[in-house]
Amino acid sequence: GVTDVDMSPKYHFLKDRHVRFFQRTLQVLPERYASLETTRLSIVFFALSGLDVLGSLDVIDKDLIIEWIYSQQVLPTDDKSNLGRCGFRGSSHIGIPYSTKGPGVLHPYDSGHVAMTYTGLCSLLILGDDLSRVNKQGCLAGLRALQLEDGSFYSVPEGSENDIRFIYCAACICFMLDDWSGMNIQKAIEYIRGSLVSGWTYCAIASLCLMGRLEEALSPRELDRIRRWCIMRQQSGFHGRPNKPVDTCYSFWVGATLELLGVFRYTNFEKNRNFILSTQDRLVGGFAKWPDSHPDPLHAYFGLCGLSLIGEPNLRKVHPALNITQGAFQHLQQLHQTWRSSCGQQH
Amino acid sequence: MSGVEKTSNESPEVEDKNKEMDAEAEESFGDDYGVEPSQYLFYSDRKEWADLEPVPQDEGPNPVVKIAYSKKFSDVYDYFRALLKKDERSERAFALTADAIDLNAANYTVWHYRRILLQALSKDLRKEMTYITNIIEEQPKNYQVWHHRRMVVEWLNDPTEELAFIAEILSQDAKNYHAWQHRQWVIQEYKLWDNELEFVESLLEDDVRNNSAWNQRHFVISHTTGYSDPAVVEREIQYCLQQIRKAPHNESAWNYLKGILQDHGLSSQPGLLEKVLELKETHCSPYLLAFLFDCYEDALENSKNTEEQERQETLSKALEICELLAQEKDTIRKEYWQFLGRSLQSRHGRSSSEEPPGAEAESLPASGVQEAS
Repeated sequence: GVTDVDMSPKYHFLKDRHVRFFQRTLQVLPERYASLETTRLSIVFFALSGLDVLGSLDVIDKDLIIEWIYSQQVLPTDDKSNLGRCGFRGSSHIGIPYSTKGPGVLHPYDSGHVAMTYTGLCSLLILGDDLSRVNKQGCLAGLRALQLEDGSFYSVPEGSENDIRFIYCAACICFMLDDWSGMNIQKAIEYIRGSLVSGWTYCAIASLCLMGRLEEALSPRELDRIRRWCIMRQQSGFHGRPNKPVDTCYSFWVGATLELLGVFRYTNFEKNRNFILSTQDRLVGGFAKWPDSHPDPLHAYFGLCGLSLIGEPNLRKVHPALNITQGAFQHLQQLHQTWRSSCGQQH
Repeated sequence: MSGVEKTSNESPEVEDKNKEMDAEAEESFGDDYGVEPSQYLFYSDRKEWADLEPVPQDEGPNPVVKIAYSKKFSDVYDYFRALLKKDERSERAFALTADAIDLNAANYTVWHYRRILLQALSKDLRKEMTYITNIIEEQPKNYQVWHHRRMVVEWLNDPTEELAFIAEILSQDAKNYHAWQHRQWVIQEYKLWDNELEFVESLLEDDVRNNSAWNQRHFVISHTTGYSDPAVVEREIQYCLQQIRKAPHNESAWNYLKGILQDHGLSSQPGLLEKVLELKETHCSPYLLAFLFDCYEDALENSKNTEEQERQETLSKALEICELLAQEKDTIRKEYWQFLGRSLQSRHGRSSSEEPPGAEAESLPASGVQEAS
């Protein structure tokens, strides 16, 4: 769709502010962000992918960040007794000594977190890393240990709530590692079908697309109903459920779902853009969930992705299912080609 | 030095903003914050902890997204890390987890360790229920606290406080997703269906636009009587239409109506179309019109042996609805309604030989992106 761009200052997209917002995010956050400690790697992802969408990864030292990310990998111990706990941590909060290489150190409470493994791998890809230091056997074993009978996933082997968000993380991990032995796809699909009532539509559709099973799992009629459900979420920007306020991040969650279903072009780009920009923080950069609210890394990232979907100039395109730029996605495809063509590769 | 170039000269606006946010954050801190510094003793100064070597967080040479903790915060967590390392099972460890939770209730490792200690020390789970009740009241949108409560309820095998507790949380925010998830879990697990429909109705009395309550209505009925009993369906249709008359612009009510009828075919419910057409005159909304469109579409899809004349009339009415929505009643979705109209036309329009060859091009791929496995 063609956007009639409103040229008043309120709707100017302040690219440089957002670059600085993400730079600051990658440095130091004040103590009031304490609740993000165990998920810091996902915040790294928001900042890195945000800078990538802005075409501004050159402002950071990629190699140094790559080292830090690898230091969060939970590696197998010499005797491999902890394979079911491997993956990536959100941070060093439990006190593991800093190390970027193996073997793993046995610690009674050290284990990966599925969303951190997912965002850790994405972050490495965005930084141009070749994943050669990722212990794939560990990651996949750690992933298998998280899946329940009903097809859903825990986030950590110690147990947690289980729902479709973690199926999405698992699907991304398998997709990136080009190895679906990390999960029972059939069971996951059953759970997805059973949970479509809820608001986690993006996780459901994106997972099915990554698996290559969208049309197998959902009939044309069901897909039409999902299209209708999603397209009804637009009020100006988008909300997540009927009779709830719009929120910047849904411009991506719902927008990307509509894109995957082939109907994003039928949304109103102008109203969407105007809402997202009304949540832009003109002083410190970033975006907030609502106008006149404080920006945070998550909404800053998804605000950008929402703008990228509607074709905002100077923003890189985002792969709607994997949620990284098309450039990072192409890097991944090249890695897959290399892996598949090297000797002894089993598929 | 982090792996990130220092940004040059933080602007005064950023500094001001940070001060504003810190001030706001301070207002919401717990009781300890106002306490005289002399009353609070760091763990590193407590003699009963002298045997334990604190373990600082090791961020390496170039930390990323580092959080700047106060001494008080680091002190508690340095000792938490020390306890974890030796997997200590003690009362003092249990007490420390409360301090750690107070500082960061989202740290799932602390909660897990606390659960280990609850069992290892055979702690009073009733007291734990009181504890978690208070925490959830303060932080009702945190995943870890609800998960913890669920574990304690399971250990006690006692759900008797749950419905009242969740109702209390919902009275503060009637759409809290965590509260509803917990409620659905406890009802399904312990078969507490009996009074839930009544509860749902009271919430809908308060706010007929509460989508979570409509969702719960569907949850309760589909797991109890189900929707195959025509008496139930009739009752529910009446209920919906009643709520729509009270508040016509309510997507939730229309979604519920469609949701209970769509699998049996919207056009198969006798008299419904007429009622909706009546409502269109006095209680119109985009949702009513979308529902009408869906009825017409269902009629076209599922009555292939109807006379061609009647089918063309139905098609014509459906296309009129699309135009009305696109041009007047739901203009934000103009492109979508026009697309639906074109799709319907190409599927059911008179003699496809009349259609230009490009008509098929509108049919869209199920996915713009399907990855080869």
